[in-house]
Amino acid sequence: MAWSFLIAAAWGGICYLDRTAAFQVMLHRPLVVAPVMGAIFGNFAAGAQVGAVLELLYIVRLPVGASIPPDDTGAAVFGGAAAAAASSSIGLGPGSFAAILLLSVLCAELGKYADRLVRRLNGRIAHLTVERLEEGDSLSVENGLVAGLVLFGVFGVALTLMFSGLGVFLARFLLPRFGPESHYQFGILLPAIPLLGAAAVFSCSRTDRTSPVFYLTMGCVFSAIFFFRWLV
Amino acid sequence: MSDIPLRVRRRVWFRQFLLQACWNYEGMQNVGFAYSILPALRDRYEGRPEEFSRALKRHLEFFNTHPSMATVILGAAIRLEERVAEGKVDARAVGTFKVGLMGSLGAIGDSYFWGSLKPMASVAGAILAFVHPLLGIAMLLFLYNSSHLVLRFRGFAAGMGGEESAVRFLKEAGFTGKTEDRKMIAAILGGAYGGVVASHTAHQFGGAWMELGVFLLAALAIHLFTVFFRKAVSPSELLVLLLLIGTLILWQ
Repeated sequence: MAWSFLIAAAWGGICYLDRTAAFQVMLHRPLVVAPVMGAIFGNFAAGAQVGAVLELLYIVRLPVGASIPPDDTGAAVFGGAAAAAASSSIGLGPGSFAAILLLSVLCAELGKYADRLVRRLNGRIAHLTVERLEEGDSLSVENGLVAGLVLFGVFGVALTLMFSGLGVFLARFLLPRFGPESHYQFGILLPAIPLLGAAAVFSCSRTDRTSPVFYLTMGCVFSAIFFFRWLV
Repeated sequence: MSDIPLRVRRRVWFRQFLLQACWNYEGMQNVGFAYSILPALRDRYEGRPEEFSRALKRHLEFFNTHPSMATVILGAAIRLEERVAEGKVDARAVGTFKVGLMGSLGAIGDSYFWGSLKPMASVAGAILAFVHPLLGIAMLLFLYNSSHLVLRFRGFAAGMGGEESAVRFLKEAGFTGKTEDRKMIAAILGGAYGGVVASHTAHQFGGAWMELGVFLLAALAIHLFTVFFRKAVSPSELLVLLLLIGTLILWQ
């Protein structure tokens, strides 16, 4: 288990760097993060299921200017680890799946506040960079940038350890305390979560032209599946 | 043409991926921008430490734009710095140019990358993940990066051609049309995703009329969520609401 957390921390650190500080090649997206977390904690497919739903949930919040969106990378770290751990203990039924997805919002919000803190600390680094440059240190910019990068990376590693630990704890010790009936009852909420994701995509792409197209496609796909099932 | 050697341009190009490494609320991407342009400044102001220091300070002033669009400004700023070093242009022109372009490029980049390309790539990946998770991941990474990396490269090349070339690139790249197209694709894929989810849920209830009813409920739920989003309710708040409802169900 210790090795799993170490590998998870390394992977999480890379993903958190990709989120803001470096590259932005989408390695930090839940669709990528959660399956890898799932694989690290023993079940790739379980992590992938969580990742596919989480991918769309927060897409409506854009990182425009100084606004920071919820930390969907942290939600995916938590969700991937929890789903993999749950699949080997109580099973990933609708109830536990819905519980993991809904509880991941707490990690997303916590990660957002951590991100704000890093950016505030970076402000101090930026001040020091300018001061050092004025004193004649020509390497101050490079040192300042590396300091900022390390800060983002360290916070990423720490958040990954915390969220994956919380995920495993939830799946191993908390969810099994609720009986099968509770799982069934909680599972009623599950359909609403991917629909929230679909609504997030709709909100992002919404224009006068796209609104009817969205609902028309939804109807066509639903009808096609319905008739396919009827035929078979 | 620019006299900046190819190895220096390459170093600048790789460094621009770290533009946000020291993102802060006061100067935003200022340290990242100064770090990216540093190899070019060292090349231009070699043996002139005071001018080099002044040039570097110029780039430590407030800077913020979309990270994927910053290459255009970066390239053009290098060309301007070349001319400043030769004494052909006033140094203040660099700051004026950066400030003049960063706002509009930020708006274009936010709308194109965050508002249309990312949702399109995400929903395509999420749909393909139903078939196989690896296919979904590959689709997301391919769709986003095939556009993102190419635009970063082309933007830098255009910027290195000078300010006019940068502006021409922005005109010819057709971001408005591309944004509209990607939004349309995202809407189609989002609708398909909604249809699959509604169908999966409806199937659990059985019966044609029941399935139709569930579909209508799903469409209504999506519409309702969209209205909430328009009223600036965040997805987190809606998820917390669902969590509270779930807790109340368990409580009974």
